[in-house]
This record gives sequence, structure tokens and C-alpha cells, in this order.
Amino acid sequence: MHRSRLLLALVPLALTVAALVGGCGDTAPGAGTGAPGRTLTLGAYTTPREAYGKAIIPAFQRYWYAKTGEDVRFEESYLGSGAQARAIVGGFEADVAALSLEADMETIARAGLITRDWTAGPHQGMVTRSIVVIAVRAGNPHGIRNWDDLARPGLNVLTPNVRTSGGAMWNVCAIYGAALRGGTAAPKDDPAAAESLLGGVLRNVSIMDKGARESIVSFEKGLGDAAITYENEVLVGRQAGRTYDMVVPRSTILIENPAAVIDTYADKHGNRDLADAFVAFLTTPEAQRFFTDFGLRPVEAGVAAEMKDRFPAVTDRFSIRDLGGWPTVTQTLFATGGVYDRVMTSLQPQP
Amino acid sequence: MSRPAQITDIQHGRLALRSGVMIYVGVLVVLPLAALVQHGLADGLLGLWRAAATPVAVQAMVLTLWTAALMAVINAVMGTLTAWALVRYEFPGRGVLSALVDLPFAIPTLVTGVMLVILLGPQSPLGGWLAAQGMPIAFAPPAIVLALLFITMPFVVRAVEPVLLEQDPAEEEAARTLGAGTWTVFRRILLPPILPALLSGTIRSFARALGELGSVIVVSGNIPYRTLTAPIYIFGEIESGQPQTAAAVSVVLLALALVLAFAARGIERATGVHNG
Repeated sequence: MHRSRLLLALVPLALTVAALVGGCGDTAPGAGTGAPGRTLTLGAYTTPREAYGKAIIPAFQRYWYAKTGEDVRFEESYLGSGAQARAIVGGFEADVAALSLEADMETIARAGLITRDWTAGPHQGMVTRSIVVIAVRAGNPHGIRNWDDLARPGLNVLTPNVRTSGGAMWNVCAIYGAALRGGTAAPKDDPAAAESLLGGVLRNVSIMDKGARESIVSFEKGLGDAAITYENEVLVGRQAGRTYDMVVPRSTILIENPAAVIDTYADKHGNRDLADAFVAFLTTPEAQRFFTDFGLRPVEAGVAAEMKDRFPAVTDRFSIRDLGGWPTVTQTLFATGGVYDRVMTSLQPQP
Repeated sequence: MSRPAQITDIQHGRLALRSGVMIYVGVLVVLPLAALVQHGLADGLLGLWRAAATPVAVQAMVLTLWTAALMAVINAVMGTLTAWALVRYEFPGRGVLSALVDLPFAIPTLVTGVMLVILLGPQSPLGGWLAAQGMPIAFAPPAIVLALLFITMPFVVRAVEPVLLEQDPAEEEAARTLGAGTWTVFRRILLPPILPALLSGTIRSFARALGELGSVIVVSGNIPYRTLTAPIYIFGEIESGQPQTAAAVSVVLLALALVLAFAARGIERATGVHNG
């Protein structure tokens, strides 16, 4: 008796949970009156969540309704970039993917789900940019100016774990690449010196959070003297009233974030035209301006010129291609026995 | 005439129940485990060994084992004391204390981690003071032990409590009347009957701690060789597209948990304890 009553009591709870789970991520159509239209599923990484949810998707819904009279609905999923790519490969049928790393998009392409060349577009498939910067305490009490300063003994530096955060790879590439290019005190084109600078910085890291977002949140909570992070995180944080400062190193890496149609799924859902239009919409001046509101740099030249004053200039801005491209970097820097692995092993405490 | 028919009905019922439960446990527990083991052994035993024996993985497992072991010892002592206080003494707030013991099971472990960092992080008054004394707790192994203690709180208490309840307080009183001190009473009267329950509760808390991710990933610094535990290492390998390595280390942890589960069962069977 007692048991069965307990079970009965659980039924409404289970229904509530089911309703909540089923209901989340469902965006009501913006335009209202038209015939019920199709549903487009977006699988994205977490950084541009607000930009998509609050600005770009409603704008696209209005645009599409004005153009075709169809009320398109959206389902949005936001996960870490790598986890999102794996979810899509594993059968999460997103029509469009917006990720933080080219390498994650390549994972989906290699699985055969993207059948066209997704880099063929006007900006090689990229929709936003950012740069790797250093967040420091208000007034920069430690006088941090460049990557070398992060290797000073006694400093406490935050950067996420490269194993769990694809974004953390950008940070490692930024330091290593800057050193190779002579952007630091290390001699130019000297891999050993670059590796030793990277070791010096990583020695000062006491917390490797699982993601870029968690890392900057830790910094906001008061942990650490400096955090290696992205310009957009700092800009958004400061918009929200946080008081930390941003240091742009002399030489740093340009981050580029791709978006692409997942052809197989879009075709299966009969959404190809819609998905194509949405991805194309992302690089229109309207969408690009929305991205800048959330601290991301535009790829579209017109908006970039218009917003020039919002984003600090970088003396030496290099890209992942200057380090040989992601496939090479994944091997030389991040594979077992690669630069990162060697550096971490050298930091192993001696018993 | 009706009796044989009845027996058959009962037998049918038993058979149905038994096979139903077997299928249930098989689908929910054995199937996923088999899939994991198959995945971990995809490159054969040698491949599994190579993946699980990298220095980072070994260090991560060592850290997980010693923090879980330390937690289990503290849990055994404090859990027994808590159970004893709950059973033997009437005091205001006993009901609240009893409810509090179960609370850790109801709290998402991630929240446990967040709470501990708020309390003990270097930016908090307590954490700041401890760090100034050269004893940082957050983002260091002590925080891992604390998080594990929190999430496994009920195991020992709830295992020992029913055995203590069955025990007649008169035995303790008699021993005291005969002149036995507190320690002697505990060692000679109290401990022997609760020992099996205490051991199995401790082992279960240890096994549970081996797999803890949610709270530890928040309170630990996650630095390889220093504060990276095995579950976080596994998580990292999955996230970075190395499911083979992840599966290999998982299989090692799984084997340990399996041995421990059988040990706890064995202790219970050998001594006829059926709780916990």
C-alpha cells in the first residue's frame, strides 16, 4: 500500500520533469500569424548562446517570414564545442552547427554528415572571430604586459584544461605561437625557447577548469592573478559590470569560429534551403552587428570597419595557419608526446 | 487436487519474478558494462595496459585511490560515532540530525563542489586564512577528501544504525556496572556486532568515491600529476576524442569497484548482515 502510494505520488513529478525537458530549447516563432512552418535545429557551442537566442534567431525569423511567409521555429542546443560535435556525429540531428573550432567541424565532416565543402563560403565558413587575451585584476596590480609576465614565479594564472576545453587549445597556441614569432622575450623561431616559456606559464597554473566559461567564472570569483581567456569573455564581463582589466599581448592568435549546414540531417528534414539561408544570414551586416554586441569580432569587412574602435588593435595578430593549421597543431602540440604533453610531464612534481 | 496446481502457480510466479529481475538488472547494469569492457578491450589487453599505464593516468588513479581511502577511514570513524549518537541518545534536534545525514544523497554533487569552493576558496575568509597559514584546502587534495566525505556521508551511518538499534543497551550498561571503561565497552561490546556492517558501509563509500566526478572537478585544480583524479582524467579523454584511453582507465576502475562490491557482499554473507 505504502509503496504504491509513493509511486503514484511520483507520477506527477515524472510528468513535470518530462514536460520541462521536452519544453526547453524551444523557441516560439517570432512572427506569430503565419501557417505553422518548419523547425530548424541549431547545435552550437555555449559562447554565442545569448547572441543567437536573444538577437540573431528572432531577427532571422522576422527576415524569413518577410521573405517567404513561413513561420520558422527553432530548437537550440548549446554544449561545449567538442561535445556538440560528438553529439551531432552520434545522432543529434542538428540542421546547422555553430562551433568554436574548425577541428570540431572537421570531425562532423569526416563522419560524412557534411557533404559539401563547408569552407567554400565568403569567409571560409567562419562567422565570428576573437583573440586570446589576458584578464588581469583592476588596475593591473602585477604589471602584466605580455606572455612573459605570466611565467614570473609566484604568479597564479588560470587557463582551462586542454583535454576538456577545445578553447583552451587556443590559449596554448597563442603563447607558443607568440614565442615562435618573436613576440616575447624568447628568441624567434626557437621551439625549445617557446616550449620553455609555455612551461613557465603552465607552472603557474593551479586551477584548470573544464571549460573556458568556468575558467573566467573562477577568475570573477576572485581566484588567480590573471586568466588566459578570450577577448569576448572580457568584453561581455565588463559590460555586465565586472571590474577586471584586459591586457592584449604584443603577439596573439586570431580565433575563428565556424558555422555550417549539416547536409545529411538538413536534407533528411527537408530543411536544406532554410539551413543554407540561416548560415548565409549569419554573415549579413545585421547578424554581424549582433555578434559584436556580445563581444565577438565580425568577419564581414563593412561591420569590421564600422566597429574598429570597439576592439583593440593587435601589433602582431597571427592565425592557426601560421602554426601549420589545426591538423598539424593537433599532432605537434597536443598529441601524446607533443609539446603540451612534454611540458606537463616536465612539471611533474619530483617525489 | 488443487494443491499441485497452486504450487505450479507459485513456481510460475517465482520464475517470472526471477527472470524479470534478471532482465532488468541485465539491461540496466550488465549491458552498459559489457559495452564498456568491449570498448576498453578493443585493442586487446596489451592496448588496454598501454592506455591505462601512461604516467598521467597512473598518477590520476593513485590520487583517486589515496583520497578515497583516507575518506573511507574518516567516514568509518565518524559514521560510527554519528550512528551511535543517533541511536543511543535522546537530544533536541536528533530528528534534524538524522535528516541531515541523508541530505548529501539528494544534493547534486556539482552543487556540493560549488558550496565547498564558496566556503573554502582562497577568496573566502576561512579559505583565505587557511591559505595564509600555508594550508590551502580548495584546489588541493584536502578539498577532494572533503567533497568525497560529503557525498558519501550516509553510507556508514545508515549501515551501522540498524545493527545498533537491534542491540540491547542493557549489555553496555552491564559492562559499565562491571567496571569497564568507555573504550573497553566500545571494543568488547559495541564493535563486534557492528563490524560487518561497518566494513561493508565503508567499502561501499570507498567504491562510490572512486567514480566521483561532479564535486571533485569543481573543488580540485585538475592539474595533471597534482590534482587530477581518475574520473576527471577519463572525462578529459572523452572530451578530447580519446574514447579508447577513457574506456581503458574506466575498465581498471570498474574492476576495482567490482572487487569491492563482492567484498562487501562477502562480508555480509559471512556474518549474516542484510542491511546497507
